[in-house]
Amino acid sequence: MSNVPFRSDQLVEELVQFNQNLSKGVKNLIDAEEISEGVTPREEVYAEDKLKLYRYQPSTGVVQNKIPMLIVYALVNRPYMADIQENRSTIKGLLDGGQDVYLIDWGYPDQADKYLTLDDYINGYIDRCVDVIRERHGVDKINILGICQGGVFSLCYTTLHQDKVKNLVTMVTPVDCKTPDNMLSHWVQQMDIDALVDAMGNLPGEMLNWTFLNLKPFQLMGQKYVSMVDIISDEKNVKNFMRMEKWIFDSPDQAGEAFRQFIKDFYQQNKLVEGGLKIGNREVDLKKLKIPVLNIFAEQDHLVPPASSKILPKLIGSKDYTELSFPGGHIGIYVSGKAQSTVTPAISDWLGKRSK
Amino acid sequence: MNDKNSWSDQWFKAQQQFVDAWSDMAKSAGNTGNTSHADLWSQGMDLWRQSMGRQQQPDVELAMRKCMDMGKEYFAMAEQISKSLADGKQPIQAIDQWMEQMKQSLQQFGGMPGFDSANVNDFMRQWFDPTRSWQQMVAGMSPMNTSSFNMGEAIDPLGKILSSPGIGYFREPQEKQQKGIQLALDYQQANYKFNQAFLRVAIESIQAFQQRLTKLDAESMPKSLRQLYDLWIEVSEHCYAEFAMSEEYQALYGDMVNRLMILKKHYAEIVDDILRALNLPNTREVDTMQARLQQLRRENIELRREIGEIKAMLKRPSTKPVAPPAPADAAPAEQAPVKKAAAKKATAKKAAPKKKASKPNSTAGA
Repeated sequence: MSNVPFRSDQLVEELVQFNQNLSKGVKNLIDAEEISEGVTPREEVYAEDKLKLYRYQPSTGVVQNKIPMLIVYALVNRPYMADIQENRSTIKGLLDGGQDVYLIDWGYPDQADKYLTLDDYINGYIDRCVDVIRERHGVDKINILGICQGGVFSLCYTTLHQDKVKNLVTMVTPVDCKTPDNMLSHWVQQMDIDALVDAMGNLPGEMLNWTFLNLKPFQLMGQKYVSMVDIISDEKNVKNFMRMEKWIFDSPDQAGEAFRQFIKDFYQQNKLVEGGLKIGNREVDLKKLKIPVLNIFAEQDHLVPPASSKILPKLIGSKDYTELSFPGGHIGIYVSGKAQSTVTPAISDWLGKRSK
Repeated sequence: MNDKNSWSDQWFKAQQQFVDAWSDMAKSAGNTGNTSHADLWSQGMDLWRQSMGRQQQPDVELAMRKCMDMGKEYFAMAEQISKSLADGKQPIQAIDQWMEQMKQSLQQFGGMPGFDSANVNDFMRQWFDPTRSWQQMVAGMSPMNTSSFNMGEAIDPLGKILSSPGIGYFREPQEKQQKGIQLALDYQQANYKFNQAFLRVAIESIQAFQQRLTKLDAESMPKSLRQLYDLWIEVSEHCYAEFAMSEEYQALYGDMVNRLMILKKHYAEIVDDILRALNLPNTREVDTMQARLQQLRRENIELRREIGEIKAMLKRPSTKPVAPPAPADAAPAEQAPVKKAAAKKATAKKAAPKKKASKPNSTAGA
């Protein structure tokens, strides 16, 4: 072994620097203003139960896509990840690319919502939001962009309602939920989901937080905060850090019945791949999905491994399939500078060619 | 805003003085080889936290707390290495000694009933964040403090008592209580096995870190405390990931969660029994009502949808120009089967564009 080339006085210097950065940063933390949930102006156009459908203010001076787009976000975490800050906003990028963007905000389910099923979410809420948008724009079909679990919902919805969807974009969407590198899936295989939902009613957001943070506990609960000290002397960095921090811990509870079916059918029985998936009383056969699909995944995604998404073309019946691989992680695909310059323009470009 | 800034300015000035004083002491300590002032930093951090009170937003407070906690653990690492350096050891020996100390401090907890990660060496506590945060989370959702049943692998002295049959008029409630305690013990056993597995892997990670250092050439060797810390994180994360992807983890974690849920459900049933005895609504009754209500809402939505379609069909002929009379042998147009999609399309086109969407099938307020 070579000798470690640092000395006692060097070590002290490092600690002094760390301490000074921390003291400056703590002031910035105290002075940090309240963090908003999303930055792009929007209006509520429809509400039902705890769901809200928002339309974002279209960008001026760009050629508008006449086919509106609905973003279907996951039930886990909150959708403002896609609009986290002005220069890091997937939604703003889509607006600037000429998309007319709508987004479903699922809200925070409570115990009164525990009997909501996947059928209620997919053939109910999503379908009614799609109808509202079709009606507002006088179009038969709209574009859908599904994010993560919202991508799974979008795949199911589109397969069952192709008469209402022109193009489908899926982002970091788990399709094969039993790839060997899927830690989340590995953890739930011996879990008695019925016992969990029967005992808890809804799945608490805290439990989801615990799960997500413990996929990489040393980085997410340790190193991140040590590294933060390097940047918190800058007010802007503090605000950006706090935005992410707020989002990470902002986990709604999951409606019990929907959670039960989601974990059992997708993560334990892998029915999107193995077949036999039913939403309500309708079978979801991905082979029947014939519309254009753009499938985007992140190469370093620790929540949805790329292999989980990349299987999609083998399962669907569409002949117009495009794949976009992003060199980053599950969150970076929305918030990184690279994503703003590559992912959102690529989506608008792809949709532009198929929305005539 | 002014008040807040004024308060934070004052606080900042006070803390700046502390930092300056600490920095001066640390520098002089570094020069003299006396590095015990790292302890002072740790104490100072606690004072900071207390002095801040609850002046800031909850998100900020949480981030700050985590930052301080990690700072403390980072300093603990520096402190332990610097103590060895002060003894005149070479850096690599100092690191080795630090790791051996960590290993020993962990080994003492092996097999210990009621193992509490709070007693673990500051720096190695990171290894027990998953188990510690699990305990904190469970404390908020458990019907009772299950840690009072933490007996590790000790022989269950209550086992026979708990399995004895109930007697007399209150036989059933008595048996339910006995079963509840047994379920709490079962959960605690599962939790104990989970924690002990973490302990074993944490010790293995120290060995993995030592091996990793051995394999590094001069170029790749950490050149600062931060680099050493980052390497430790990398090795630990790798060891953890291997463990988390193992069959062992899957079984231990599944068992722990399942036993907790059985316990929780059992106590919910006991509480339900008490509420029923008091003629108060219980979970079972509320569940039944909620399930029925949800089904009614689904039927209501479906009925609204059908009414919407029928209305659209009825309106359609009036929006069309009057057709010339059909030949006597042709079927009337309105009697022809109307496709569902066509009816919807007509509705959609008629309504567009609107500023505010109507709620054709909304269940809001239903």
